Amino acid sequence: PESAEMSTFSGDETAPFFGFLGAAAALVFSCKSFDSLLRFPDFVSLILCVSVVLMFCILCCFPDVVEFTVEIGMGAAYGTAKSGVGVASMGVMRPELVMKSIVPVVMAGVLGIYGLIIAVIISTGINPKAKSYYLFDGYAHLSSGLACGLAGLSAGMAIGIVGDAGVRANAQQPKLFVGMILILIFAEALALYGLIVGIILSSRAGQSRAE
Amino acid sequence: MSGVAVVHASSWGAALVRISPYTFSAIGIAISIGVSVLGAAWGIYITGSSLIGAAIEAPRITSKNLISVIFCEAVAIYGVIVAIILQTKLESVPSSKMYDAESLRAGYAIFASGIIVGFANLVCGLCVGIIGSSCALSDAQNSTLFVKILVIEIFGSALGLFGVIVGIIMSAQATWPTK
Repeated sequence: PESAEMSTFSGDETAPFFGFLGAAAALVFSCKSFDSLLRFPDFVSLILCVSVVLMFCILCCFPDVVEFTVEIGMGAAYGTAKSGVGVASMGVMRPELVMKSIVPVVMAGVLGIYGLIIAVIISTGINPKAKSYYLFDGYAHLSSGLACGLAGLSAGMAIGIVGDAGVRANAQQPKLFVGMILILIFAEALALYGLIVGIILSSRAGQSRAE
Repeated sequence: MSGVAVVHASSWGAALVRISPYTFSAIGIAISIGVSVLGAAWGIYITGSSLIGAAIEAPRITSKNLISVIFCEAVAIYGVIVAIILQTKLESVPSSKMYDAESLRAGYAIFASGIIVGFANLVCGLCVGIIGSSCALSDAQNSTLFVKILVIEIFGSALGLFGVIVGIIMSAQATWPTK
C-alpha cells in the first residue's frame, strides 16, 4: 500500500456555508415543538437532545457555527413547558398565586435571549468580504455556540424542574417563595456562565493568523 | 523532517489525521463547559426539587440546605475555569502546519482535557445532587443529621476537583508548532 502525504486542503472556503446552514436549521429546530420529548423520562429526552446535537456537529467535521441555537431553544422550551405545567396544575386550586408563579417561566425565556445575543455576535462575525474567515475562526465560533448552547439547555432543564416543584410547593407553604427564587437564581447563573465563556471564545475568532 | 504526518492511504489513521485539530479543540472546550454545566444543573434540580418538597412541612430547612445547591454550582465554576484556561491554549497556526504531528497532538490534548473535566464534573454534580436531596429529606425529619450527611457531600465534591487537576495538567501538553 502506498503512503499518502497530507493534502493542503484547508476547508476555509466551506466555513461560512455551514455556518449559515446551521443558522437556518437552528431556527427551524427551536421553533419546532418538542412536546413529544416531554413524555419520556427526563434523562431520556436529555440524552436525545445532547446526542442529536453532538452527532450533527461531529459528523459535519466542519464549523456549524450557529447550531447551538437548537440547544438554547430546547432549554428554553423545556423550562417553559415543565414549569408551565406546574403553574397550570397549581392554579386550579389557588388561582391567585398564578401571576406570582410566572417567575420560572420568565427565567426560562431569558435563556432564549442569551442564545440570541450569541447568535447575533457570531453571525455578524461571519463576513468574508470584510475580513477573511478561516477554519480557525469557524471553529472558535462553533465552540462558542456549543458552549453557550449546552449550558443553556442544561440550565433550562434545571429551571423547569425546580420551577415545577417550587410553584406546587409554594401553593401549600407560602414561606417557600423566597427559597424557590434563590434556587432558580442559581440555575439561571449556569446559563450565564455559558454566555460568558461563549463571548470569550467568539472574541478569539478574529485572531486567526493562517497564511 | 518537520513532522508531517504520513500514513497509509487505506488505514483508519488516514481518516483520523485528516480531521483538523481545530475540530477537536473546539469540541473539547465546548464539552468542558457544556457537560460541566449539565452536571451542575442536574444536581441542582435533583436537590432543589427534593428540598422544596420537603420544606412544605418543615420550612426551617430551606436556608441551611442551600449549601447543597452551592456545592453543585461550584461544579459549574470548575468547568468555566478550565474552559477559560483551554481557550488560552488555542492558537492559530499557518495552514501549511495545520496537519503536522505536533499540532494534531495539541488538538488532541485540548480535546482530552475538555472531556476529562466535563465528564468528571458531570458525575460530581450528579453525586452531590443526589446526596443533597437526601440531606434535605433527612434534615426535615431530624435536624441532627444535616451535618453528618454534609460530610458525605464534601467527599463527593472532591471528584470534580480531581477532574480539574488532571485536566489542567493535560492542557499543559497543548503546544502548537511555532512559525
